[in-house]
Amino acid sequence: MKTFVLAAALFAAGTLAASAQQLAPSPTLDAIKARGHLECGVHLGLPGFSFANDKGEWTGLDVDYCKALAAAVLGDATKVKFTPTSVQQRWPILQSGQVDLLSRNSTITFSRNATLGLNFQGINFYEGQTFIVRKKANVKSAEDLDGASVCVAAGSTEEKNAADWFRERNLKVTITNFQKNDDAITAYDSGRCDAYTAGVGALAGQRAKLKVPDDHTILTKPISNDPQGPVTRYGDERWQLIVRWVLNGTIAAEMLGVTSKNVDEMKANSKNTEVRRLLGAEGGFGAMMGLPDDWMYKAIKQVGNYGESYERTVGLASPLKLERGQNQLWTKGGLLFTPPFQ
Amino acid sequence: MRAAATLRTSWRERLFGTPTITVVTLLLAAAIAWVAVPIIRWTLIDATWSGQTRNDCTGTGACWVFVKARFSQFMYGFYPAEERWRPNLAGLAFALSGAAIVFAPQRLKLRLGLAALVILPPLGVWLLAGGFGLRAIETREWGGLMLTVFISIYASLIAIPLGILLALGRQSELKIIKLISVLFIEFWRGVPIIAVIFLASLLLPLIMPSGIGVDRLARAVIGLGFCIAAYMAEAVRGGLQALPKGQREAATALGLSYWKATWFIILPQALRISLPAITNEFIALVKNTTLVLVVSILDLLGIAQASLADPNWVGMNMEAYVFSGGLYWLICFALSRWSKSLERQR
Repeated sequence: MKTFVLAAALFAAGTLAASAQQLAPSPTLDAIKARGHLECGVHLGLPGFSFANDKGEWTGLDVDYCKALAAAVLGDATKVKFTPTSVQQRWPILQSGQVDLLSRNSTITFSRNATLGLNFQGINFYEGQTFIVRKKANVKSAEDLDGASVCVAAGSTEEKNAADWFRERNLKVTITNFQKNDDAITAYDSGRCDAYTAGVGALAGQRAKLKVPDDHTILTKPISNDPQGPVTRYGDERWQLIVRWVLNGTIAAEMLGVTSKNVDEMKANSKNTEVRRLLGAEGGFGAMMGLPDDWMYKAIKQVGNYGESYERTVGLASPLKLERGQNQLWTKGGLLFTPPFQ
Repeated sequence: MRAAATLRTSWRERLFGTPTITVVTLLLAAAIAWVAVPIIRWTLIDATWSGQTRNDCTGTGACWVFVKARFSQFMYGFYPAEERWRPNLAGLAFALSGAAIVFAPQRLKLRLGLAALVILPPLGVWLLAGGFGLRAIETREWGGLMLTVFISIYASLIAIPLGILLALGRQSELKIIKLISVLFIEFWRGVPIIAVIFLASLLLPLIMPSGIGVDRLARAVIGLGFCIAAYMAEAVRGGLQALPKGQREAATALGLSYWKATWFIILPQALRISLPAITNEFIALVKNTTLVLVVSILDLLGIAQASLADPNWVGMNMEAYVFSGGLYWLICFALSRWSKSLERQR
């Protein structure tokens, strides 16, 4: 009898340990389920990435990611509440637990990752400094700017970056300084320089302010590297896993040709195992993270894959008309990549 | 009649008295026209008033279509459209009771004022935030002009009584009360308001155990209220010190207690003297509400800035700032006129 009880206890402890290994506790996920919505920290207002439209709804590329996450976790892309954050408050608001994650065009850097107690969960936008030029100037890349003049704000990071970059390559480029960014872009618009420089995302917003936006083009190959993506706190590995793989899932969906329109058909008929795993038709991948198996199906169905999101918010279907550039899939010449769903 | 005639001649003399004066007058008039004409052209004559999108703005002037499309956000932020009668009703209640107090007969004024002070603030919070039968609406959905007015009113509801008590406390003969008042005033007056709002919004949640969350807006309002209370206390102290000592001595000689003397003799005179300074604090308060922007509370200015991020409306900076700046000016001007009329009252 005694041995039987002992064996039973050992067995119970063993299974408990096994299941605990499979599914670590996730206080963040439990809290989200208990309150019934996701808390997402976004940018106060950045054209194309995060802003409130005329109806007061939050939209943009960073916002779309939060919606996809809400769909994956709670089954409903509308069950997310947004906290707009300023530059100064973005880290503390995440560290103090007022939001579940930040999706707020924050550049991933070593020192931030090492010192802030925060982890970056992948890249949803490859930001980088580039140039806006007139279409008729026939400039294809920054190397073609030899002999040109560039308007910049004096003392900005962009000024230093651009000057260094041209000097290293022995290109004769005149850098014209202005007091403020606004002055520099106005000067560019009035024809005093051949180019103006800033990050890709910022340039997309600024192009829309020019007198004739369609006369200008943004060079797709940047001269600096500022990748951006969702951010979580240290700890709660299962939550970090979910945040990372929902982002990967939206990229994988584009890779595999799964869109919000064909997702039902793909789930029912696709012979591709990776598609079937992604959409929860086989493999039980959702359950491994403590989510329903149709987690990515819901996210794709309700929000769309990465490409759909991109086109709608900053891409050619939006007023910003930004080309994919580096944010194209790696198979099509960009940098966008996801580990396989295996 | 005669006075008016003198005034007219004197103006003519002042503007065109001698050739030099005439030249200066003409030059100044030209300068004013040089500045004013483009402004008027931009805001009124060349501006676009009707349409739906930015494509309708073909003129060289302001694109007021933007303000029209965003008007409800400028007024209410993200407050749900079907519930906007609530802030409207709250505003109406405050305005009506304000008017009632101003026009009521003298003997009823005090009672009406106290009743309003007891009933209105909780009523306003209930209407806006909901609960007890109304749909609950989180403060993150509040915004725009409504939020600016809310913060101004509730911060001053904290600041006025606290400021008066602190001013009296600083004059007190009880050492401990005097010390507390001085410490409070010097601390809150010495810390930048923006730092207070920051600490209230960011540091408190880090220190306090999770789960005990005081609303972010409430924290900002209390912080702002404390700062203004410290300024207010010094304004009121100015009034108290301007009163001759004999006032309180006479009141005491008549057998009035400290509080009765303060309430009936000292404060009515002191407040009238310090009214211009107090008005100054209020106007500063209305404008300081914009500082809550640093903790992403979208007041009128915040919502105007946030609107500029909509790709459909980027570049409408002038329109956004001119419109919100104009509204702030209207509020502050109204406050200033109101205080003028109070000063004239006997």
